[in-house]
Amino acid sequence: MSKVVITGSGAVCGAGRDPAQMLAAIVEGRSAIAPIESFDTTGWPVKNAAEIRDFNARSLVDDRKLHKLIRRTDMLGIYAGDRAAEAAGYGTHRDSLAEDAAHAFSDRTGIYVGSGGGAFENQYDFFPLMAQAHGDLAKFGGELPDTVNPMWLLRTLPNNVLCHVGIRNRLKGANACITNHSVGGTLAVIEATEALRNGEADRALAIGHDTPIEPQNVLYYHRCGLLSADTLRPFDARRDGSVFGEGAGALALETEDAARARGAPIVGEVLGGGYVSEGAGLLAIREDGDGVVRAIEAALADAQIDASGVGMIVAHGNGTSLSDASEAQALLRVFGNDCPPVTAFKWALGHLIAAAGIVETTIALAALRANTVPGIATFAKADAACAKLPVSQRARTPRSDVALVLCRGFAATDAALLVRALRA
Amino acid sequence: MSTIDTPHPPRIRSAPSPRLRREGRAEGRRRVAITGIGLVTPLGNDVAATWTALDAVKTGAAPITLFDASGFSTRIAAEVKDFDDGVITAPRKLVKFANRSHRFALAAAEEAMRDAGIAPTDDDATRWGCSVGTGMMGVDFADLSSVQRHCAPDGEIDPHKLLSDISASDPLAFCRSQSTAGVALLTRRFDIRGCATSVHTACASGGQAIGTALKLIRRGVVDRVLTGGFDSMISPVGLAGFCLLSAVSADNDTPDRASRPFDASRNGFVLGEGAGFLVLEEWEAARRRGAKIYAELAGDGNSLSSYRITDSPPDGDGPIQSMRAALADARATPADVDYINAHGTSTGMNDRSETSAIKAVFGDDAKRVLVSSTKSMMGHLIAAAGAVEVAICALAIDRGEVPVNANYREFDPDCDLNLVLERPRRQKVRMTLSNSFGFGGSNSCVVLRSADLVDDAR
Repeated sequence: MSKVVITGSGAVCGAGRDPAQMLAAIVEGRSAIAPIESFDTTGWPVKNAAEIRDFNARSLVDDRKLHKLIRRTDMLGIYAGDRAAEAAGYGTHRDSLAEDAAHAFSDRTGIYVGSGGGAFENQYDFFPLMAQAHGDLAKFGGELPDTVNPMWLLRTLPNNVLCHVGIRNRLKGANACITNHSVGGTLAVIEATEALRNGEADRALAIGHDTPIEPQNVLYYHRCGLLSADTLRPFDARRDGSVFGEGAGALALETEDAARARGAPIVGEVLGGGYVSEGAGLLAIREDGDGVVRAIEAALADAQIDASGVGMIVAHGNGTSLSDASEAQALLRVFGNDCPPVTAFKWALGHLIAAAGIVETTIALAALRANTVPGIATFAKADAACAKLPVSQRARTPRSDVALVLCRGFAATDAALLVRALRA
Repeated sequence: MSTIDTPHPPRIRSAPSPRLRREGRAEGRRRVAITGIGLVTPLGNDVAATWTALDAVKTGAAPITLFDASGFSTRIAAEVKDFDDGVITAPRKLVKFANRSHRFALAAAEEAMRDAGIAPTDDDATRWGCSVGTGMMGVDFADLSSVQRHCAPDGEIDPHKLLSDISASDPLAFCRSQSTAGVALLTRRFDIRGCATSVHTACASGGQAIGTALKLIRRGVVDRVLTGGFDSMISPVGLAGFCLLSAVSADNDTPDRASRPFDASRNGFVLGEGAGFLVLEEWEAARRRGAKIYAELAGDGNSLSSYRITDSPPDGDGPIQSMRAALADARATPADVDYINAHGTSTGMNDRSETSAIKAVFGDDAKRVLVSSTKSMMGHLIAAAGAVEVAICALAIDRGEVPVNANYREFDPDCDLNLVLERPRRQKVRMTLSNSFGFGGSNSCVVLRSADLVDDAR
C-alpha cells in the first residue's frame, strides 16, 4: 500500500489567508480575536470573535455568478480547496494530458469535505415571507414563488463546497460530505486517507469549512456555557470558555506513487488517524478524557508509530473548563512523563468548528517545517487539572517531524490525526 | 513499449513499511453481514408493515396533513402515518432532544438492534460504530416561526431581540437543530463508543453513510456498526425549497400516481420522510453467534458528477463510475446482478440519466436485470432514501421477492429498462444494486450479495 502524501494546502481565517500567515501571527503572539463587527453586540453577553476582516468575496472566489448560489461558509471552503488544488498542480497537470488521460485523472481524484455554517441564518431568508403571511400558511405557500429566491434550497445545501470545488477543479472521484460538527474537517482527512489507501482514488482534496459567528448561534453557545466573556485561554487557570472564529482549510492528499509519477510537490505525509465516540450525548463529555485517549491510540496504531515518535501536539484546547481538563488528563495518560511539547492554536484563530482540525493541521505542518512549537500567548498560569501538561507561553522545538493534531466535537466525538512534514 | 524507454524516473524504494501488515489484511478483506433491519417509512412504521405495503403495491402519497399546504403548488407528500413516540423505549429525557426525523431514527434503529439481537456491552462498546446520513433541515418550523414573530415581525431580523427570544434561548431547540443531534442520540441511546460519523450529500446521504460503515468494519476499527439515514422535510420550509425548484410533482388530485419513475409522463418526485437502519457485523462474528444474515454488504462505490448542482449529465456520466466502482468493490460483474433498486426519482432528468448509466454499465445485461424504483410507492425520503432502499434490497434477497416499479403506464424510449411492473417478482435474487444520486452531484451505489453465495464460495 502506498503512503499518503500531502501535495498542497490552503487555509483562510481571521488570522490570515494561508497557513504561513497564520503561523506568523501565532509566533508573534497576535490573536485575531476582537470585537465582533458583523452584528451590533451592544448589550450582548458575548462581544468577541475572530472574524475575517475586510471580507471580500470576489477576492476569495472569482466567479460572481457563483456568489449568488452559495453562502459565506461555502465561499471560504471553495477558496481553501482551490488553493490546495492549485498548490498540488491539479489543473496544470491535467491540462498537460491527452483527453482520455485527463478524464481518468478526474475520475481518480476525490474530495472529502467537513461542512458547517449558516445553520440559522439560512432560514432567515423566509422571514419576509413569514412576516407577509402572518402565520397564514396558505398565504405563505401562495406568495412563496414571488418572495423567496428560487435557488434557496441549493444555496443552503451542506454539500455545496463538495459540489462547487468539484465542478471548478473537475474532480469526479470518491467523495463524502461530513456534517459532524467540530471533527468534520479532521474526519474528511481521515476518510480521504483511507480512500487513497484502499485504491478508491489516487488523490483527493480534504476540506473543512465553517462560519459559526451568527447571532443566534452565538447566543445558544453562550446559554450552554461554552463561550468566554472575552478571550480564549487554553489550559489556563482563568479559562472561561471558547471564542468563535470562522474559516476553512484544505489539504491535497495523494498516494505517494501517484504523486511521484506526476512529479507533484510533496510537502508532508498523513501517517494515520482515528476517531471515536464517548457515547455521552450531544453536549456532555466524559471527565476522564477516555475518548481522547482512545482516539490517540487509534491514530498511533493506524500510523504504526509509538507515542515516542510524536514530535509535537496541537491540542484541541478550546478553552472550556471541562474539555481542556479532560484533554490534559488524556494526554498525560497516553504520554506519561515523556509528553512532547503541547500547544494549541484556537487562542489566535478562534474556534473554527468544522474547519478547526484541518486548519490547525495546515498550521502544524508549517510549524514543523519552521522547526518550532509556537507558544500560547494567552497562557499564564496552568490550571491544577492541567498542571503537568507541557504547555507554555514560549516557543519550543519539536522532538521530531511528526505532529499529533487533536479535535473534539459535539456528540462527544474525538478525533486524532498524525502528520509528518517534509522539511524543504 | 520496450521496458528501456520507461517514461518514469526510477522509483525511490523506501524501506519496507510496517504498514505492509495492513496490506496483508486487505488481501483477506473482512466481509460484512447485514444482521438487523429497522424501518419507519410512509408505507409503514416498521419492516413488516412496510414490506406488506410494498408487496401489495400500496402507495404512501396523499394530501399533506402535517401543515396547511393549501397555498403551495404541490400539496401532496408521502408522510409517515400514525407514528407513535411510544415505540421508542429510550428515556423520555433523551427523546426531548429529538425532532421528528430523529424520532424516526430512534424507532428504526431500535427495531434494527432488536432484530439483530445484539447490542453494545461495556466490554465491546468501543468496537461498535455509528454512521448516519442526516437531513439538512435542522431548525423546526415552530422554532423558526417563534423567532420570526419575536425578532423579525417586519421580515428583517433584529439581533437584539434574540436576547429576549424564548426559542433562541432554549437549549433543547439548539440541540435539536444540530447536524450531529441524530448521531448523538443514537450513540448515547445504545452506548456506542467506536467511530461515529454523520454525513450529508443530499439524496445520496443514506447510501454514503452505509458505504462509510462498510469501510469502518473492513479496516478493522470496529466490528459492528449501526448505520442508516433519517430525514423529514415535509415542513413549510422544506416543501418550499423543492417547490421553488419545481422538483416535486404537482399532481395534487392524483397523489397515488404522482410518483411514476421511468414513465413518459413523469413530472417530479413526491417528497417522503422516514428512517432506515441496518446493523452491520463482521461476517465471521455474525456466523459465530448464529445470527440471521439478510445479505452480505458486498460493495460500495461513489463518484461526483461535477456537472450541474441539480442534475446528472444525460449520458449517465457520474452514476456510471459509481456503479462500476461498487461492482468492482464487490468483486462482481453485471452478470451477477439480478435487481437494481434505482434512484428513480420520477424527475425527467434523473430517470433518463440513470437509464443511460445502467445501460452503459450493464450492456446486454441491461435487458435482463430487473429494475424498480420503490420511490414509486414510498416517495423520496431524501437523506434517508439510500438507507431505506438498501434495506429493501436486503429484504428482496432474503425473501426472494423484487418489489415493483408502481404507477407505470407510458413507455419512454429514453427509459427502456426491464422494469418490474404490476406485481412483485418472486425469484431467487443473487445480487442487488442500490443507486442514490444527490443534489450537488454525489452518486452512491451499494451492492448486496445473497448470504448463501458467500458461504458456498468459502
